[in-house]
Amino acid sequence: MNKSKKTGLIFFPAFDWAITPTHPEREERLLYTRDQIFEEGIMDLPRIQEYKPSLASIHDVARLHFCVPTIEKQTTEAHLIAAGAAILLSEKIVNGEINNGFALVRPPGHHAMRVVRGNRGFCNINNEAIMVDHLRSRHGLKKIAIIDTDAHHGDGTQDIFWHDPDVLFISFHQDGRTLFPGTGYTYELGGPRAYARTINIPLQPGATDKSLLYVLDNLILPIIKDFKPDFIVNSAGQDNHYTDPLGSMRITAQGYARLTEKLRPDLAVLEGGYAIETALPYVNMAIILALAGLDYSGVREPDYWPGRFKESADITESVERMVDELLQRWEMRDRVSPDAKKISGNYYTRHKHIFYDTDYIEENQTEHLRLCDNCLGYLVIDSDAKHGYSRSGRVLCISVPHAACGRCRAEAADLYEHSKRAANYKYVYLQDKHNDIFYSYSTDSDHEWRSAEL
Amino acid sequence: MFAGIDVGGTYTDAVLLKNDQVLATAKVPTRENLIGSLTEALDTIVKDEDKKRVKRIVFSTTIITNLIAERKYEAVDLLIIPGPGLSHDFYKNIPYAHIISGAIDYRGREIISLNEQEIETVLREIALKGSKKIGVVGKFSPRNTFHEKKVAEIIKKKYPEWQVEIGAKVGSQLNFPRRVVTTYLTCATRDPYHYFIESVRQALDSRAISAEVFILKADGGTVPLQRSEEFPVETIFSGPAASTMGVQALTAPGETAVVVDIGGTTTDLALILSGQPLLSAKGARAMEQLTQVRTLAVKSVAIGGDSVLSRTGNDINIHSQRMGPAYCLGGPVPTPTDALRALGLTDLGDRKKAIEAMELLGQGLSITVEDIAGKVINRVGDNITIEIKKMFKEWEQEPAYRVWEILHKHSVKPTIVAGVGGGAAGFSARIAEKLGCRSVKLPYASVANAIGAALAKPTLQVNLRADTEQGYYIIQEEGHQEKISDRQFNEKKALELAKNSLVEQALKYGLALAADDIEVTRQEVFNMVRGWDTTGRLYDITVQTPRGIITRIRVGE
Repeated sequence: MNKSKKTGLIFFPAFDWAITPTHPEREERLLYTRDQIFEEGIMDLPRIQEYKPSLASIHDVARLHFCVPTIEKQTTEAHLIAAGAAILLSEKIVNGEINNGFALVRPPGHHAMRVVRGNRGFCNINNEAIMVDHLRSRHGLKKIAIIDTDAHHGDGTQDIFWHDPDVLFISFHQDGRTLFPGTGYTYELGGPRAYARTINIPLQPGATDKSLLYVLDNLILPIIKDFKPDFIVNSAGQDNHYTDPLGSMRITAQGYARLTEKLRPDLAVLEGGYAIETALPYVNMAIILALAGLDYSGVREPDYWPGRFKESADITESVERMVDELLQRWEMRDRVSPDAKKISGNYYTRHKHIFYDTDYIEENQTEHLRLCDNCLGYLVIDSDAKHGYSRSGRVLCISVPHAACGRCRAEAADLYEHSKRAANYKYVYLQDKHNDIFYSYSTDSDHEWRSAEL
Repeated sequence: MFAGIDVGGTYTDAVLLKNDQVLATAKVPTRENLIGSLTEALDTIVKDEDKKRVKRIVFSTTIITNLIAERKYEAVDLLIIPGPGLSHDFYKNIPYAHIISGAIDYRGREIISLNEQEIETVLREIALKGSKKIGVVGKFSPRNTFHEKKVAEIIKKKYPEWQVEIGAKVGSQLNFPRRVVTTYLTCATRDPYHYFIESVRQALDSRAISAEVFILKADGGTVPLQRSEEFPVETIFSGPAASTMGVQALTAPGETAVVVDIGGTTTDLALILSGQPLLSAKGARAMEQLTQVRTLAVKSVAIGGDSVLSRTGNDINIHSQRMGPAYCLGGPVPTPTDALRALGLTDLGDRKKAIEAMELLGQGLSITVEDIAGKVINRVGDNITIEIKKMFKEWEQEPAYRVWEILHKHSVKPTIVAGVGGGAAGFSARIAEKLGCRSVKLPYASVANAIGAALAKPTLQVNLRADTEQGYYIIQEEGHQEKISDRQFNEKKALELAKNSLVEQALKYGLALAADDIEVTRQEVFNMVRGWDTTGRLYDITVQTPRGIITRIRVGE
């Protein structure tokens, strides 16, 4: 592989796209970041290569999500560009054109789950997850680590890879008792076939760079070393910053830079971060320089001075305890047997209640994982939802993993055909990752769509 | 009547036009004394005419390019104010830059104040060295010129005889390193450029020519001779701009053309997309560094009529160096020009010698002179075609920051290849064939550059930024900063301010500009929301005079 030293950058501020004019996810969000990186001449640095994003294909989205009713209804071009940017950079990294990359894009994606019925946590589709599945499907990558450093728990990414032992998902975030989406506790550790491939580190409000780096050095980096991923993704949210209006953490631009330098992600993808003036210009700049291996020591917020933030001893101690506990979980990862109460016959079942804060949708899911001895087993999600006062229809989603066995593929296909004829569902979906063909069927119109790329 | 004169590296070309007709052309070798070449060409074209009827003369010259390449200027020192951000080590490599404290942020707010004592110490150091040309450049100075102006004031008070330039006026776009380079070059070239302009003026006066005189800029626009002294660097690389404007004047409107200008050792490529010469997304490059000088997108490829040829097996190699003129013109080795001459595609040089050159190149192969010459031409054409394709690709891949831009930019295909300069015609057919478009034989191809200069329109631009939350606006070209007193300030008013400023500037250039003719190239409005309330708006507006040519040349009949 030709080893480039360059850092690839896609800067896509979507200056003509907003959720609503005054929403945090609006045109202005990356304006000052643009000012900062353009004025600093970042794009002219020999270590930096800027790229223009391309759109993710509908097929790329269909490989990962079940968009209800359709992908077109759940996405705008801006979403496809953000996901497409992540895909484009990941491909350039895999083929050696660049050493690493940063998709500085909006809208974000890490709250988008496998089933998408609307916008939650400002996200519709999951940029990183779509990119990861594209890499696995198109470039044969196997093991991927996603490190989510946004202040909000990356619940969407967690949901998508919950049963997948080949994707390590680690999220540190502000404690879910104090912030949306209210999840991400240490006991959330992944499905029966992927125990401890999901790791959550909830940090108390007020945690500083000190705890951040402690968690990184003592938990995240050792786990990554054991896991040996082919590719490391950083969901680089910036709302842990001490000036963020939504979060209550005390991380600095220097903290983010050190984190990036130590983590050495192949690809960082911007997630949240809404201190658009006081944090983003500095944090983004610090991350870019750290990725490019350039001196970032001169990047600092106007109101920052070294030693400004002192962490309380309570926080430090609790973080140390949590790191010890999670390390033990990780050590036991292949010796833990699944919760017997959740197993019935050949299926492992979990129930989920999902709230879409932006669109005010309440969804109930029952998820069945087919427990198979030859493969990871296919997944069936039965979902129903309420949009305000009206129901938006029950759907059945079947997902067949990349390396599914013949029996699971046949069973899933039968279930799909059978469910098409059952009267209870408005839509039935079959995601056949093994063959890279995706179906959706509307019972009302008796029409089937098929997405396949040759 | 209009005259256009392009003082190039090898030849000085001139034309005299009356409306859309070419009255006279001239081509003289460029000598050490640029003024001498310029006046010789001018004398040749106007000799039979009444000098009083020459209303407009446009020059394009290599003076700035040469000054910079040969470093023919006095020492310059810069005071730079980078503040926090990129490590100061990046600027320590610039030997003439002194870093002083202070910082302004992206909204133009002062973060760190200046330290007068420190400034005075640095100035004493500079005084000791004896330099008298100083540039003051701050990060984010286009958003607030206060620091730069303050430092300039201190210098003026202590050392009134020093020449001081401030960065915000020279480089108003957001790019501090490019602003530093641009300011440096402005300081460096001002004096020698002034002498050059004075000599031009004297030469014209002595000939009793009273025409309005303009200089061509890198962006293909003109600037009155007098005003060109403000930003001499803008006239860098105007040669390729002249050729491109010339092609625009000699081809049908709306064409997507590839301009191929083949010189002795390099080939300059430029693009005209649907009738508009393409501007570079980045600034002009000088001293191997990017500047904030607006320029047409020109790519220089190291292949020319005098490039050295060699052969490995059946493959022709083109080398970037030159060892003298073509073999058929008395040079030592075979060159692409010899291939053209051997096939009768040019009249330049001795045909026998050209054939000899091709035989030398083909020695040991059983191949005819025609075949080997054909191979050479294909090779040159193919190499240039690859570069042209890259240029189109680069244009397609230019970053975009809006959904709309991503969705609406479609790839374009060239419709014509226009060869200008000596040997271009012979190669452009091959290039057009490879690109799948037509090759056009331009009338007056060998003086297309002079025609382009003669017909180029002035280009003036005004960038306005208004920040209603902080209550001020800046006209960046003037370094002019003013409070917004109007409580009803809005987009329309911002646009009006920008347009009025452009009309005023145009007047200074002797150009009557109707408001309807103004092009708005950028009109951005950002709502500033703090908490859940809109607290202000940011307006970024760019207006300009229409680019292009005054008229097309009537061809044929």
